[in-house]
Amino acid sequence: MRGRPLLTAVAALALVFLLGPILLVVAIAFSSGDTVEFPPPGLSGKWFTKALAYQPFQDALTTSALVAAGATLLALLVGIPAALAIQRRRFRGRKAAEALFLSPAIVPELVLGFALFQQLMVTLRITALGALLIGHTVLLLPYAVRVTGASLAMADPALEEAGRGLGAGPLRTFFHITLPVMTPGIVSAAVLSFLTSFNNVPLSLLLNGPGVTTLPVQMLNYVEFSFDPVVAAVSTLLLAATVVVALVTERLVGFNKVFGK
Amino acid sequence: MSRRAASGLLLLPGVALLAFGFLYPFGVTLFAPPAAEDPDVLGKLGGMLGDGYVLEVAARTVRVAALTTAICLLLGFPVAYLIARAPRRRQGLLLALAVFPLLLSTVVRTFSWLVILGRNGLISDLLTALGLADGGTQLLYTEFALIAGLTQLFTPIMILTSYSSLSHIDVKLEEAARGLGASPGRAFRRVVLPIALPGVLVGAMLVFAGAVTAFTTPLLLGGTRNRTLATLLYDYANVKLDWGAASAVALIMTALVVVAGLISGRLSKVGAV
Repeated sequence: MRGRPLLTAVAALALVFLLGPILLVVAIAFSSGDTVEFPPPGLSGKWFTKALAYQPFQDALTTSALVAAGATLLALLVGIPAALAIQRRRFRGRKAAEALFLSPAIVPELVLGFALFQQLMVTLRITALGALLIGHTVLLLPYAVRVTGASLAMADPALEEAGRGLGAGPLRTFFHITLPVMTPGIVSAAVLSFLTSFNNVPLSLLLNGPGVTTLPVQMLNYVEFSFDPVVAAVSTLLLAATVVVALVTERLVGFNKVFGK
Repeated sequence: MSRRAASGLLLLPGVALLAFGFLYPFGVTLFAPPAAEDPDVLGKLGGMLGDGYVLEVAARTVRVAALTTAICLLLGFPVAYLIARAPRRRQGLLLALAVFPLLLSTVVRTFSWLVILGRNGLISDLLTALGLADGGTQLLYTEFALIAGLTQLFTPIMILTSYSSLSHIDVKLEEAARGLGASPGRAFRRVVLPIALPGVLVGAMLVFAGAVTAFTTPLLLGGTRNRTLATLLYDYANVKLDWGAASAVALIMTALVVVAGLISGRLSKVGAV
């Protein structure tokens, strides 16, 4: 980095700009004051107590965890076979199939949320939880197909052919050879999918019903009407949980693998 | 079972899900919303394109997204370059620090801007302390606030895509150019930049599309005074309950994102030559 003072200065500025506001939220969460202020007048844990006791956040946490886990599982169950077909088989329309599976990533999430609200909830009378689950699975499917597909693309198909050649059936080959090869990709896809679903706002925004709202949307509603450190406390708890997830992922597959790096 | 049938069987659950949970609702809502009082979206769209307010919101959305993309590029590319040129074992940690914010909700990442830019916020206090203002400087609900928040949101994406194309460039290429007498700036412009460009353009498109469709940041930092297409769509869909208008805004938004994608596809191919 010697000899590039301007470059280094810009990079340092960028990191402060990226991480500073996040650390600011943590400082505000531990405030003993009654309003949002920085620097906080003193330290206390009272906003955490208040945040944890707030019923709408508890309900929203349950909804978000349920939707994120369910949609991640569904996206993998549907996405892995699709990735197998796209990566390992030659058939007409293979490129079109790949484009179709990646297409939900292109459309604005807010537009998809609005469409699901209109067609599934209003017209077909599907519950908010059902619409959330379907919508989030659609949202995650491109990640699932792409990340597990990438792990397949890197593996040598000769391994599977050898298994078949030695007399293993298609299922046995899948469970004993293909699946183990894909495992790092599946773990990466699962982590990325869970967090993507859990954090989503635009898709979840309109898909709510009595007692069914996701946590980020509930936080957004809260901030719109009352501006106090409660949301900073929830943010800090989410930040801590995310750090734990990142560290565990680092041990399992390498943190940067989650982003395909 | 034939090979074709087997491939079809593997794809079937996904295709069924996409048909029911994506293509059908998306198609109907954009082009033929049944429950709207005025089901003619294209008519609405025509009316909107003649409506100064909607055009103003669309122009703001594009302007803010373009400025955000430019600043993300100016901040993100140097970071990516330094990470790609750092010692191997430090690259992982640096990259992880830079992209970690992507794992947090936009609500978490936008909240602090309310504290920084608000009437009793950090910048307002700072200006007052310096004697440049007499308290209560409101920077929230401005285009400046929108750009600040969106830039913080999307710079990690720029870093990630720039890094992934920069990390493929052998340092020796740059050193060779230097050895042949090129200045550092020239070596960078003539060797590094052309190779990195396609990846950087893909990143820029992702940032632009993300900024055009972002919702949380415009809602909290732009408010009702500086609406973007996303908050306008929400207003039509959830407050005014004018679903035809909401669909028309959705069409404009989708078209913008698709056009940006096509342009960047063309550009990255040109850059690769």
